[in-house]
Amino acid sequence: MTSRELLALALIALPALAALLLLVAPSGVVPGLARLAALPPAALALTLSALALTAPSEPLIGDWLVLDAAGGLLLGVIGLVGLASVLVSPAYLATSSTSLVSPERRQGIYYATLYLFWAILLAVPLVGNLGAAWLLVEATTAASALLVGFGGTPRALEAGWKYLVLTTLGLGVALLGIVMLAAGIPAGGLGGLTWHELSTYSGGSETALGAYLLLLAGLAAKIGLAPVHNWLPDAHSEAPPPVSALLSAALLPAVLLVAWRCQQALAPVVGEQTTQTVLIAFGLGSLAVAVPFLWRSLPWKRLLAYSSLEHMGVIALGIGFGSPLALAGVAIHIVAHAVAKALGFYAATPLLGHEPQAGEHPVTGIARSKPLLGASMGISLAALSGLPPSPLFVSEVLIVAGGFEAGHPWAASATALLVALGFLGLAHALIETTVGDSPPREPGRVAGLRGVTAVACISVVLMLILAASAVMLPGSELVDALRRGLS
Amino acid sequence: MTAQALLLVGFALQKAESSGDILAAGALALRALVLAGLFFLLVSRTRSVRPVRARVAPLARAGIALALALALTWLVPVIGLDSRDAERGVLALVAFGIATAALRRATLFQVIGIVLVENALALAALQLPSGGAVAIELGVALDLILVALVAVVFYERIFAEFGTADSATLRTLRD
Repeated sequence: MTSRELLALALIALPALAALLLLVAPSGVVPGLARLAALPPAALALTLSALALTAPSEPLIGDWLVLDAAGGLLLGVIGLVGLASVLVSPAYLATSSTSLVSPERRQGIYYATLYLFWAILLAVPLVGNLGAAWLLVEATTAASALLVGFGGTPRALEAGWKYLVLTTLGLGVALLGIVMLAAGIPAGGLGGLTWHELSTYSGGSETALGAYLLLLAGLAAKIGLAPVHNWLPDAHSEAPPPVSALLSAALLPAVLLVAWRCQQALAPVVGEQTTQTVLIAFGLGSLAVAVPFLWRSLPWKRLLAYSSLEHMGVIALGIGFGSPLALAGVAIHIVAHAVAKALGFYAATPLLGHEPQAGEHPVTGIARSKPLLGASMGISLAALSGLPPSPLFVSEVLIVAGGFEAGHPWAASATALLVALGFLGLAHALIETTVGDSPPREPGRVAGLRGVTAVACISVVLMLILAASAVMLPGSELVDALRRGLS
Repeated sequence: MTAQALLLVGFALQKAESSGDILAAGALALRALVLAGLFFLLVSRTRSVRPVRARVAPLARAGIALALALALTWLVPVIGLDSRDAERGVLALVAFGIATAALRRATLFQVIGIVLVENALALAALQLPSGGAVAIELGVALDLILVALVAVVFYERIFAEFGTADSATLRTLRD
């Protein structure tokens, strides 16, 4: 076993072990143990990410374990967001009073489930088999549904139930696609569904296309791509803020990576253009559905949820275009979206403490009463809207340019138009949320604000680095590796 | 639903050629019995005062499910399973599962719809020309049990909160 394989196994085992410990630990030691246990997996994830990204031409490709450039990107994102979500969780637990479980077991079960969810998420980019990837994605549903409904309020129960039923049904449809593929792979059975074996499918291109469509439709239900996105705004808005951050910044792109791997593996069988067109259609559909909602006054977390729908659409478009420029944009977009979106969701904890109505109503003029909170929310929203110098501006330009480069002028033009409309909607929300008319609010300290301010400072530095490094990506070895995938 | 899964177990044991096949059949049996036990316990702990009325009348529901099954068997090309009849059976079961989850208002029936879809996929895995992988089949069984456990937690809490297991009460989140 190589050192990379050992590191990868340790990366999955550590948070899983922490989950078990947190479940049985006395409640007094749970918060400290949770914070301490977050550091090793995050450090390991970043190490593996660095290994994958500094040597993108030498991927690790096994039957059950892979580590390539795309997986490395996701590992870094999941590691960072997971760490931050654990560290900001005490503020959420201190400010919320309701729960799905008994008060005395609340902290232990929350952290154990959060760690379990994190462990499964970290495994998704590393897994080398489509069948095993499906199992992991399905397992994220069980863990994260509990977290979505963790607040125990009627709204949280509704959101958690919808999420559980819709994504499980969607994944059932995806599994039908996997079984269809398994029937036509010479290596045989579901165990032969390694990423590199998929291209050996010999059951005919028509059946392969049917299987690919079922797979993508099922995975789209989990990614939250339109038209199967109904659970997304509800789950993101009702989950505890640290969980919403993990859902949006880590879960959605991790499942999108599985769809990307399927697209690359099945392109030789189904036809590259056909596989890409399906992703472009999902991407444009998601953008078209999300943009009208970005123009409306929505509660903070619901606004961020529709922004997730928009950004997953942009990433799907970039993957669908598949050209070097578009893939450079995808790489930046995945990381920058994660940083900006996680910051936005983390800001929801102090926001709800300061303005309890923010869960169900739009908020205005936060910077007038809480300048640091308003600044953190403003940074998140400005970055998500693609306001220069946000790295999301650079990535969107690269993806649109990549669309023209790949010979999809109509889709690229539609993308540019929809992204511009989305920008206008979010820019309006940015002004209203931060410096709009402010109703009278109670002064006083708000729990979690210091942590969010620290995250905001780190996020600004990270995003500026990302925007600056974006110019080096087109034509780089990393983009070549993203184009090749695991072939 | 349990009888259907146990029928599949019998079929799997009849076809079994290796210890791996027997283990996979065992996983399917375990899944069927655990789910049956869970749902039985759930129903006995949460007695509804009156049954949840279906959103769509039974005949219309049957018609929609049949139409969906016919559409799926027409739309989906040859899957490549051992027999075309098995393929049609798989697709019909998937359609019935989706229709059950979409058209029934009782939350428990929505979970039963999911289990129907999973039973269809178990049948498909049994009919693969080269057989399924034991590890994956064990994983699918474990995943479904986990999802069902979470569903049970939600179901009990929804029942306690709203006094009914009617999914119509879960429609407050709208934009």
